[in-house]
Amino acid sequence: MSSPNSAAIDAEGLVKHYDDVEAVRGVDLRVRSGEIFGFLGPNGAGKSTTVRMLTTLLTITAGRAEVAGVDVAREPDEARKRIGVALQEAGLDPRQTGRELLVLQGRLFGFTTAQAQDRAKGLLELVELEDAADRLIKGYSGGMKRRLDLASALVHEPDVLFLDEPTTGLDPASRLTIWDEMRRINERGTTVFLTTQYLEEADQLCDRLAIIDDGVIVREGTPSDLKAELRERQGLDRDPTLDDVFLDATGRTRSRVAGDVQEVK
Amino acid sequence: MAQAWVLGQRALREAWRTPEALIPTLFIPLFFLVVNVGQAAKIFPGETTDFLHGQGYGAFQLPSSLLLAASFGTAALFLVEDIEGGYFDKLRAAPITRTALVLGRLIAEIAKGGLIAALIVILGVIFGISLASGVLGFVLLVALTALWAAVFSGYMQLIALKTRSAAATNSGGLIFFPLLFLTPNFVPRDLLTRPMEIAATFNPVTYLMEAQRSLILEDLNWSKIWPGFLMVAVTGAIMLALNVRTIQRYD
Repeated sequence: MSSPNSAAIDAEGLVKHYDDVEAVRGVDLRVRSGEIFGFLGPNGAGKSTTVRMLTTLLTITAGRAEVAGVDVAREPDEARKRIGVALQEAGLDPRQTGRELLVLQGRLFGFTTAQAQDRAKGLLELVELEDAADRLIKGYSGGMKRRLDLASALVHEPDVLFLDEPTTGLDPASRLTIWDEMRRINERGTTVFLTTQYLEEADQLCDRLAIIDDGVIVREGTPSDLKAELRERQGLDRDPTLDDVFLDATGRTRSRVAGDVQEVK
Repeated sequence: MAQAWVLGQRALREAWRTPEALIPTLFIPLFFLVVNVGQAAKIFPGETTDFLHGQGYGAFQLPSSLLLAASFGTAALFLVEDIEGGYFDKLRAAPITRTALVLGRLIAEIAKGGLIAALIVILGVIFGISLASGVLGFVLLVALTALWAAVFSGYMQLIALKTRSAAATNSGGLIFFPLLFLTPNFVPRDLLTRPMEIAATFNPVTYLMEAQRSLILEDLNWSKIWPGFLMVAVTGAIMLALNVRTIQRYD
């Protein structure tokens, strides 16, 4: 586990090009060990691309990134040992049971079968899936799949947990359950890097956050600092919300935000 | 290898739980065996056809059915499902060697291919085909077929990794038909027309088929057996290397 003052994530000038498309155009990030860091942005802003570079799933066109003190491009396997990943789509095998999936994940991280079974049991308790543990995943609800995905990302007790839109598409009750689990995981010392489109989620959970738009970071700070800065800069007579900060940072207006005002399209 | 074996076990569980994908790999080759024998057995009666070594035409056709059974490449379609569902990324994010990631499914293909091959050969024996090379020949025949299953699956996995599309992967599998028909499929190589003989000589599947056929029709004839094993070893190594390289560059 990294010390509280060290950087869990340290990225400089991260760039990703796909042929002629510049998906990420020079992102600098420094996430402190032990915090929940929110990463916000509109669709297509570069959130998932950044996460995929930080988690070794995408090559880095330019720049460098260290996660838990390990350079992800130079030592990807070492980095993989220290990070847990739950991506946008719950990456699960529907033909396995929840328990089998967690045991397999443990075995891939070098556990013996007995150790992996023990770890799976503990994680199933943590995410309250003991009753469904021996059912095939294809029969799980969306919320159960998300919780199992979260558990599978925690099998090896990672230093840094990447959660890419973990509550998208979930009903409010399931969303609150995931929030509770995120807090519990963080309280155990795991740094959480959370990408989300739900601004309320970021406001509730995150110690600090960054907003990315068009491949570059346009705001960074604590939610309260970002709101205070906007209030001061615009001379508002009320406290702005994180929605206001987001809209200001990305140059969007409320009329361009379709549907639920909490979700930025 | 431990990681590859863990992934192989998972792929076997997947196959066991999806019998709909496994059953056709047994019945369609048997169907072709029956149809091909029904169409050509009278032209090549066992008593008067030298290349049958005293057996019926079914014994000559058995290798085609074994090769067909080993060339469905369903593992690659499961891989596409893993890619589309995000599980492949989960595996890529784990600290496992890229070779293990490829070998996991191929190990399962060897096990499945071996089982299906054994069942087809046993059914053939029940219906009158005899293995002139005995028990060792049976083991070699099943092993050769199982290894080819891994090679062909490796080829289809390559398409799956490149295209990430079930339709493209499925279509890529159709290459098996030209490979199968540009062989001494119905008669030995020396009875083919000259252009077909040349094509068959350049087709690696020919050497596999001739090795399998010799195990059925002749006593252990190593001069025909080893080219078959050499072919699967070389093509298998190429497929493994290409798969690993593709996963390493996978974005």
